[in-house]
Amino acid sequence: MEAGTLAPSESLGRGVPVEYKRVYLWHWPIRAMHWIAALCIVSLVVTGFYIGKPYFMTGGEPSDHFLMGRVRFVHFVSAGLLVATAIVRSYWLFVGNKYERWRALFPYHREDWSNLWLVLKKYFFVQPWKAPHYMGHNPLQQLAYTSIYGIALLQVLTGFHMYGLAEPGGFFAVAFGWVGPLLGGTQIARFLHHVLTWVWVIFLPIHFYLTIRADVLHHESRVTSIVSGGRYVRADIEFVDD
Amino acid sequence: MYFPSTHAWSRQETLGEHMERRGVSRRDFLQFCGEICVMLGISQALTPRVAEALQNVRRPSVIWLQLQECTGCVESVLRTADPTIGDLVLDLVSLDYQHTLMAAAGDAAEAALHASMEENHGGYILLVTGSVPLEENGIYLTIGGRTGLEIIREAAEGAAAVIAIGACAHFGSVQSARPNPTGAVGISEIVTDKPVVNIAGCPPIGDVVTATVVHYLTFGRLPELDGDGRPLFAYGARIHDQCPRRAHFDAGQYVEEFDDEGARKAWCLYQVGCKGPATFSPCPIFQWNDHTDWPIGAGHPCIGCTERHFWDTMTPFYKRLPDVAGFGVERNADLFGAAAAIGAVAGVAAHAAATGVHRARQKKAGIPLPVVPDVGGGAPAPSKPSGEEESNG
Repeated sequence: MEAGTLAPSESLGRGVPVEYKRVYLWHWPIRAMHWIAALCIVSLVVTGFYIGKPYFMTGGEPSDHFLMGRVRFVHFVSAGLLVATAIVRSYWLFVGNKYERWRALFPYHREDWSNLWLVLKKYFFVQPWKAPHYMGHNPLQQLAYTSIYGIALLQVLTGFHMYGLAEPGGFFAVAFGWVGPLLGGTQIARFLHHVLTWVWVIFLPIHFYLTIRADVLHHESRVTSIVSGGRYVRADIEFVDD
Repeated sequence: MYFPSTHAWSRQETLGEHMERRGVSRRDFLQFCGEICVMLGISQALTPRVAEALQNVRRPSVIWLQLQECTGCVESVLRTADPTIGDLVLDLVSLDYQHTLMAAAGDAAEAALHASMEENHGGYILLVTGSVPLEENGIYLTIGGRTGLEIIREAAEGAAAVIAIGACAHFGSVQSARPNPTGAVGISEIVTDKPVVNIAGCPPIGDVVTATVVHYLTFGRLPELDGDGRPLFAYGARIHDQCPRRAHFDAGQYVEEFDDEGARKAWCLYQVGCKGPATFSPCPIFQWNDHTDWPIGAGHPCIGCTERHFWDTMTPFYKRLPDVAGFGVERNADLFGAAAAIGAVAGVAAHAAATGVHRARQKKAGIPLPVVPDVGGGAPAPSKPSGEEESNG
C-alpha cells in the first residue's frame, strides 16, 4: 500500500470509519542491523556466560574435544559481526531520515525533555492520556536505546582489550591496550565485561514486553515497523515528530 | 655445581679469569651463554658474542638496596640448592652493598655504600627490592636514620641502570594494596629521570634477573621493555598462552574443586580462579627451582603476581572475577545480575498484570479505546483526542 490514506473497509463495519496513513520509518540497513545485532547479542550472551563459567564439561582426552575453543570462536565471530552492524548504524546516523539520524539518539528539544516525564508517567498508569505521540522513538526510548549502544560500546572495548592479550604487539593489543590500565587492570575490564552482560538479560524481556504491549494495547504497529520498515497510524492524531 | 667461595672476584681480573679460577669449564660457560641467549630471545649465533663480552667483563659495581619488603626476592634470586653459573654471576656482582648478605653492619655498612657510590658514580648498577613509603614524609621506612625516599633518590642519581626486582619495587605489592596506609609506591614512581626495569613477580624468577644483568653486561644497555617497564623477553606472552594445561582449557575440561577428578587429572585451573589469562610472565617456560616446577604445574592457580596491583585486582585468588566491593564476600556480581534479571522479568509481569487491571477498569467505566483502534472498533472520538483514554507512545 502506498503511503497515504488507507480506505476504511466498510465490510468490517463495526462503527465509524477512520482514516489511516502509512509512514516509512526504518530503511532496510537499519532493519538488517537490528536483526543481525539481535542474533549476535543472543549468541554473545549465551557463549559469554559459558566462557565466564563453563557449565558443560567434557571428559576423556583433551585432543578429542574443542568445546571452549569452539564457543570462543562463535563469541569472537559474533562480536565482529556486531561491530560491523555498529559501523553501519554509525554511518546511517549521518545519512538516514530524521528518525534515524544522530539527533534522534537523545531528546533534542526542550519539549522532548518535558515529554520524557509524561511518557514515564504513562508507564506507571499516571494520566496516560497526557503522554504525547511519537512517530519514531519517544524520549524514553531514545535514552534507553542510546544507553544500550553505550553498554555495547563498553563491552566491545573491554572485549577487544582481552582479545588483544593473546597477541602482544598485534592490532588489538596496540589499539585497545589502553583500556585495561585506564580501568585499573585487565581483571577490572574482565569484570565490567561480565557484569554488563546482565544488562542485556535485563533489557531483552523489557524490550519485548513494551514493544509487544504497544502493539497489543494501542495497535501501534511497532513490531511490523522493524520488519517492514513502516507503520500504520491514524491520520487524525498529532505526532510530535511528524 | 658451584659453591660460594672465599676467593672473591677481585677488581683486576675479568669474569673469564675468575670463572677459570673457580673451576668453571669452558664447555659449561658456553652452555650457560647459550641458555641466556634462549632466555633473552636472541639468536644462538650471538652466543660467542655474549661469551666474549661476559668473560671480558671486569667486576661491575652493584649496589643492592632492600627497602620496604620481606627479603623473599633475595631468597628467590640467591638461595638455591644447586647454584648455577647464573647464580654465580649474581653472587659475584652483588658485592658492594647488600645489607642482608654483607658481613659489615651499622656504620661500616653505610660507609661501604657511600664509598662505592662515590667511587663508581655514574657507573654502578642499582638493584632495588622493596617499595618506598611516602606517607608522613616516608618515616615508615628508615635505614641508618634516613628514609627510603632519601636513600633511593641518592642511590639512583649516580646509577648507570636501575633494576627493580619483585612486586614491591614494581608497584608496592601487598603494602600498597588498598588502603595503602604507608603510601607505598614502586621505584619507577620515584626514579623518573632514567629507565627502570621492572622484574615483576612476587617473587620474580632469578633467571630473569640474571638474564637482564647479562644483557646489560653484554650489550651495554637494558633489554627492550613493555609498557609497564618489564623486559619483553620474559614478560612478552601470557601464562595462558604458554600453559601446558591449555589443551584442557580449549577442550572444556576444568578443575572445579581442589580434590576432584579434574584436579587429579591435571585439568585446567580456570574455574578455581587461575589468573593466567590476565598475567604476563615466563613462569611456564623458565619455571622455578632449577626448572623443576611452577605453581600451575603443582596444581595451584596463578595469582597474577607479575601484574600491577594484583592484590587488589586479582583477588579473590580462587575466584575468576573480583567480588563487588561493599556487599560482602557471599554476594558476587552474578548474584546481583541474576537478581536484577529476575526483577526485570517480574517487573514486566507485574506491569502486564497492572495493564490488564487498568484496561478492565477503563472498560467498566465505559472509557472506550486505545488511541489507534481497529477500524470500526468503536467511537473514534475525534472531537476530544486527548480525552480520558490511554495514549500511545
